[in-house]
Amino acid sequence: MAEKKAVGHAYNIDFLNVVFAASSIFLFVSTIWMVWDDFDREWKNTQRQFTQLELEVTRQQLAQSERGVDRAKMQGLQQQLAVSQKSIEANRQRIDEINDRMADIDARLYRVNQAAQFAKATYDVNRYAFEAERKENPEGIGERQKEVEAEAERVRERNLEVQKIEAERAALQAELGKYTSQAAEAQKQIAEITFEQNRLRRLVQTIEPSVVKDYFRNAPLLDFMAPTLTVRQIVTPNVVDDVNFARVAKMDRCTTCHLAIDRRGYEKYPQPFRTHPNLQAYVGSDSPHPMATTGCTVCHQGLGGSTSFNDASHYPGNPKQRQEWEEKYHWHEPHMWDYPMLPTNMTEASCQQCHRQEVYVPNAPKVNVAYSTYERAGCYACHKTKGFENLRKPGPILTRINGKLTEDWVKNWVRDPYAVKNVTWMPKVWYNSNSNSPADHPRNEAEINAAVAYLFANSETYTPAVASPPKGNPAAGEQIVRSIGCLGCHVIEESDRAAVGPRRTFGQPLKSVGSKTTYAWLYNWVRDPKHYNPATYMPDLRLTDPQVADVATYLTTLTGSNGMPAPVTPTQAQSDAVLLDYLRNLMPLAEAQGRLEKMDVKAKQLDLGQRVIARYGCFSCHDIKGFENTQPIGVDLSEEGSKLVTRLDFAFVDIEHSKLEWFHQKLKDPRSFDQGRVLEPLEKLRMPDYHFNDVENERLQTAIMSFQRDVQPASALPARTAKRDYTVRGRALVRRQNCVGCHEIEGDGGDYRTVVTDPTLAPPMLTPEGAKVQPDWLYAFLQAPITIRPWLSVRMPTFGLDDGRWNAIIDYFEASGNSIGPFRTYDHAELTSMAGPGRQLFDLLRCQQCHVLGAIPADQPLSNLAPDLRMTHERLKPEWILDWLRNPQRIQPGTRMPQFWPAPPYPKSAYPQLGGEAEPQIRAIRDHLMTLRGGPSPKRPAGTAQSTN
Amino acid sequence: MDFIKGIFNVLADPRLYFFLMVLSLVLMVWKREVFTSKAVGYGVLIFLTLFFALGGLDPNFQLIITKPDNVPIVGLIFLLVFFTWYSMRQAVLNDQRIAKGEGPIEKAESDRVWVWPDLVYTELIALILCSVVLIVWSILLKAPLEQPANRAVTPNPSKAPWYFLGLQEMLVYFDPWLAGVVLPSLIIVGLIAIPYIDKNPKGNGYFTFAERKVEITVFLFGFVILWSSLIVLGTFLRGPNWNFFGPFEYWDTHKLEALTNVNLSEYFWVRALGQGLPTNYVLRELPGILLCLIYVLVLPPLLARRGFKPYLAKLGAPRFYVTVFLFLMMMSLPIKMLLRWIFNLKYIVAIPEIFFNI
Repeated sequence: MAEKKAVGHAYNIDFLNVVFAASSIFLFVSTIWMVWDDFDREWKNTQRQFTQLELEVTRQQLAQSERGVDRAKMQGLQQQLAVSQKSIEANRQRIDEINDRMADIDARLYRVNQAAQFAKATYDVNRYAFEAERKENPEGIGERQKEVEAEAERVRERNLEVQKIEAERAALQAELGKYTSQAAEAQKQIAEITFEQNRLRRLVQTIEPSVVKDYFRNAPLLDFMAPTLTVRQIVTPNVVDDVNFARVAKMDRCTTCHLAIDRRGYEKYPQPFRTHPNLQAYVGSDSPHPMATTGCTVCHQGLGGSTSFNDASHYPGNPKQRQEWEEKYHWHEPHMWDYPMLPTNMTEASCQQCHRQEVYVPNAPKVNVAYSTYERAGCYACHKTKGFENLRKPGPILTRINGKLTEDWVKNWVRDPYAVKNVTWMPKVWYNSNSNSPADHPRNEAEINAAVAYLFANSETYTPAVASPPKGNPAAGEQIVRSIGCLGCHVIEESDRAAVGPRRTFGQPLKSVGSKTTYAWLYNWVRDPKHYNPATYMPDLRLTDPQVADVATYLTTLTGSNGMPAPVTPTQAQSDAVLLDYLRNLMPLAEAQGRLEKMDVKAKQLDLGQRVIARYGCFSCHDIKGFENTQPIGVDLSEEGSKLVTRLDFAFVDIEHSKLEWFHQKLKDPRSFDQGRVLEPLEKLRMPDYHFNDVENERLQTAIMSFQRDVQPASALPARTAKRDYTVRGRALVRRQNCVGCHEIEGDGGDYRTVVTDPTLAPPMLTPEGAKVQPDWLYAFLQAPITIRPWLSVRMPTFGLDDGRWNAIIDYFEASGNSIGPFRTYDHAELTSMAGPGRQLFDLLRCQQCHVLGAIPADQPLSNLAPDLRMTHERLKPEWILDWLRNPQRIQPGTRMPQFWPAPPYPKSAYPQLGGEAEPQIRAIRDHLMTLRGGPSPKRPAGTAQSTN
Repeated sequence: MDFIKGIFNVLADPRLYFFLMVLSLVLMVWKREVFTSKAVGYGVLIFLTLFFALGGLDPNFQLIITKPDNVPIVGLIFLLVFFTWYSMRQAVLNDQRIAKGEGPIEKAESDRVWVWPDLVYTELIALILCSVVLIVWSILLKAPLEQPANRAVTPNPSKAPWYFLGLQEMLVYFDPWLAGVVLPSLIIVGLIAIPYIDKNPKGNGYFTFAERKVEITVFLFGFVILWSSLIVLGTFLRGPNWNFFGPFEYWDTHKLEALTNVNLSEYFWVRALGQGLPTNYVLRELPGILLCLIYVLVLPPLLARRGFKPYLAKLGAPRFYVTVFLFLMMMSLPIKMLLRWIFNLKYIVAIPEIFFNI
C-alpha cells in the first residue's frame, strides 16, 4: 500500500471541525424543533385538554348515576343474591356433580356432533357423485343408489344421537337451574340497575390516561403509528363543496377540536367543547340534520378541511369576541378562503342551500324574521331575488293619487317620510349623505317638485263611492279600531319599527293619517278598499256604514307632523340645469339645449319628473302610469351571499374589508360609499335610506347572506312530495297575506297577542286547522266568514281572495295536519245504542257550560268560552273530535278544554256509561255532537242573517 | 423615519433604480480594488441586513418580504451580492498575483485534486447546513395555499414565477412577441453560443478580471443588471396593475398611471411633419423600419471598422458578426428602456395589422 504522503490542505481542518460540530448541533436542534413542532399542534393540545375534561365529566356522570340508583331496591337484590349464593354453597356438592356430568355430556356432544357433520359431508359428496354418474349412465347404478341411501340413513341416525344428547344436556341444565336460577335472576336485575354505571365505569377506564397512551402511542415521533390523538373528519357524499372546477364531497374536520359537539352533557363548558344547541333539530343522530350525513360547514361555512383555528376561517359574532380571539388565538380576518364562517347568529342564512326558496323554515327563527323583514321592506322590488319573483309591489298605488293626497303633502312626505311617520317602510330618497350639502338643495327640490308634478299630472280621476259621507263618533271609532283586528296589520302610536316587527307594520302606520288625506277618502277606503285599489291586500271588515263613519272620524283625529318643509325654492334656471344634466347624458350638449328651449315650463317639469322617477326607481314599489313594464334599478341579489368580497367597492369608507361589514355599512347608509369622491350628480349612488336600526340591519344581512349559489345536488335536498310542496307554498302564502300577523301557525306568528290582555282574546291558533275542520266548510268560511266565537271583539275579515289562493291555504292546512288527500265529505249515521249514553254524557260533562249556544253564558270568564257545538257536524272532522276529546292539551297547549279521560284510569273511564270504557264513551259523545243542528254556518245561502258583532 | 422611507421610495423608481444599478456595476468594475476589499464587503452586508431588518418593520415592506414566495428572493439578493463580490475579489487577488508574476492561486497545486477530507468534508458540512435550512424553512413558512382557483377571478398583481420576472418586466417595454419569444430565445441561443464565440484562452480554471475584461463586464451587465436586478424590481417594486410602488408604499389597486406613450411613426409624421398618419403601414412605419435595419445591418460593419476593429481580427468575421449581433440584441433592452423613459416612446415599429411591433 502506498504510504500516505503528507499533502497540503485547501482548508484549515481544525476550523472545519468546528464548523462541522456547529452545523451538526444546528441539525440536531432543528430536528428536535421539527419533532416538537409536530407534537405541539394546536389541535393536539385541544384534544389533550378534552381528554381531561371528558374524564372529569364522565366521572361526574358516573357519580351521578351511582347516586341515582335506588338504594333500597339494590339492597334487596343484593340480599337476594346473598341468600341464593348461600343456598348454592349448601348444595355445592350436588352442583359440582351436575357440573361434572355437564362437562362429560359436552364432550360427548362435541364428538357426536362432529361425527354427524362429517357423515353429512361424506353423504353430500357421494350423493353428488351419484347424481352426476346417473346422468351419464342412467342404468347400472342400482348398487350405488343403495349405498347412497344407506349413507342417508346413517346421517339420520347420527342426527338423532345428537338430539338425544342435547335433550340430556337440557334436562341436566334444568336441574342445575333449580339451584342457580335465583342467583342468576338476581344478578341479571342487578346488572340492569347498574348498567349505566358499568358502562360509565368502562368508559372511564378507556379514557383514563395510561403509560401506554401517553408515553408510546402519543409520544413525539412515535405517534405516527397508532395515536389516540387523531384528526377526525366527516365526509358527506351528498353535501358538496364547489371548488370552481368541480364539486367535491365535503370533508369537515371540525370535530377534531369540537369533540363533544354531538354529546349531551357538555352544554356548560366553554368552546370548543360545548354541545351543539338544539340537538334534536341539528347534529343529533335522530335529528333531521345528523352530523354524519350533513357535516358542519354546509351550515356554518368556513374551511372545513382545516385543523387550525385561524385557517378554518372562524368569524367572531361580536366585537368583544373578536378581541378575545385576537388575544387568545392571534385571530385575523380570514384571507385565504372565499367563504368564511358565518357569525353564529347568522348561521340560519345557510338553510337556503337545501331549503330552497322556502320563506319559512321550521326551527330557524332568525332567518324567518329576516325574510319577513326583507319582504316587508320591499327589497325584492328593486333588487331581483330568486324566490321573491312575482310578488306584489310593496307600496300603495300612485295611479289615482289625485283623489287621495295633495301635492304639498306628497312633497313633504317624499322629502323625509320619517319626519311624518317614523315607523313607515317608505325610504328617504333625497337629502341623504351624498346629497345633503346646501349646493344640492336646489337640485333636490327641483327633482322632488318634478316627480310629484308628474304623478299628479298622470293620475286618474277617482270618484269615491260615497261623495260626502256623514261624520261619526271618534271615541266609538277608536274602540272599534283597537278591538276589531286593525292592529294586526296597522300600528298607531308605536315608534320602534324593529320591535314591532314586519307583521304589525304590514299595513301603513296609522299615525298622522288624519293630516294626510281627507275624511271622505278615509270613509270610502274603510268601507270598501277595493274600490280605490282593486289589488289591495286590505280586507273588508264588514262594518256597517255608521261604524265606518266612526272609524273614519277617529282616523282623522290622528293628526301629526307634516314633515320636513322645503329648505329652498329652486328657480326656473336651477330646474332647467337639472333637466339639462339628464339630457346631456343621452345626447350632445347642443342638442340637449335645443330640446330644452323648445319645451314650456310645464312640459319641462313633466319631462324632468319622468326622468327622476325612472332614475330613482319609484315605480319598483308603486304602480305609476307610464312605468308598468320598466325594469327595476337595483342589482340582482339572487347570489349576493356567494359574492366574492373583491367584487365589492369599499371606496373611501374605513371599514374592515369583509362582506358582512360592507352589507352592514350599505344598509346603514346606502350613499356612504360616495363620500370623498369626485362625482357628477348623475353618477352618484341612488339606493334610498330605510333608517334600519341595528336589529333590522342584522336581519337583512342574514337574508342577504342566505342568497347563495345553488351548489348542493338534488340528493341533499329535502325529498319532494306533494305534502311538502303544499306545505312550502302554504307557509309562504300565509306570510305574504299576513295571516300570521293575527294567527299563530306552526309555532310562528300570532303577533296580535301583544295587543290584547289575554291570549284567549286573540285570533285562534291555526296549527291544527287542517286536521280539525272539514275542507269544504273551511272554503265556505274563508269566502264569507261567520262568527265562531261571539265573545271575541276581533273578527275574521273578508279577504276576497281568488280560489287558487284559498285552495293553496286549504292544501297547506291539510298537509301540515297530516290529512292530505281528496276533500272528503262525511255521511253520518248514529247507532241507536249510542244515542242515549251520548246524550247522558253530554249533560253529565256539562259541555254547555262553556260552549256557547246562541247567547254567551254570563257566569263564565271569557277565557273559558268555546265555539257553538251545533256547528260540529259540518265544521269538524269526526276523527279529529276523538283525538281532541282524548287529549286536548296535545293539540292546543294551554287550552281550557278539560281532559275528561286522563291517562290513569284510561283506557277505563271515571264515568259509568257504556261499561266504564273510555273509547266507547268518547265515540258516543262524538256521535251525539254530530246530530246537533241549528248553529251558524257559512254554507247557508246568502241573504240569511248571520250573527256578527 | 418617514423621510428615509421616502428617499428609498424615490430611489426605487425604475429609472433611478436602473441607473443606480448600472452605476454600481460600473463603479465596481472600475474601482474594483476598493470594492472587493473586506471592509466594503462587510459594509455592504451590514447595509443590506440593516435595510431588510429595519425596513421589515414597515408593514407594507413586511408584507412583501414575508410572503413565502418572496423569501427566496431576499435570499437571492444576499447570495448574488456575495458571489459577485467574492468572485471579483478572487479575480482581483489573482490579477495582483499575475501582475507580480506569480500565477493565479489555483495554479499553485494544480497536479492534485483534493478530495479527502477537503472536498468530502466540506460537502458533508454543506449537506448538513442545507438540511438545517430546509427543516427550519419548512417549520417557519407554510405552503402558500390560497382559495380554490377561480377562473373568474384574476389575482392582481398577476406575477410570473421569480425566474421569469425579468421577462415580465421586459413586457413593459416590448411587444409580447419580442419580450416573450424572440428575446428569450436569443438569450438561450446566446448562452449556447458563448463557447463558440469566446476565443479568449485566458482565465481557464482560475478567477481573473484583467485577462477577460470585456467578457466579464458584458456578462455581468447581462446577468446582474438585465436579469437579476429586473427580477428584484419585479418582486419588490411592482404592485397591482404592474404599477411601480416604492418598497414602503401601500399597494393601492386604484392607483392610476397615465399611459401616454407615443409611437415613433406618430412622432415622425404627426408631430414633426404635421401630417396625418399614412394609411399604408409600410410607409407609415418606414422611419422605424429604417432605424431597425440600420441598427442590425449597418451598425455591425460600422463597429467592425471603428470601435471593435481588434475584435474582428481576433475572432474572424463570422464569429465577430454573431457576437456583435447578440450584443446588439442584448443592448436593445436598455436602449428601448431609455427611449421609453426619455421620449415616452411606445414602439419603434408599430404594425398592429400583422401583430408585429418593436
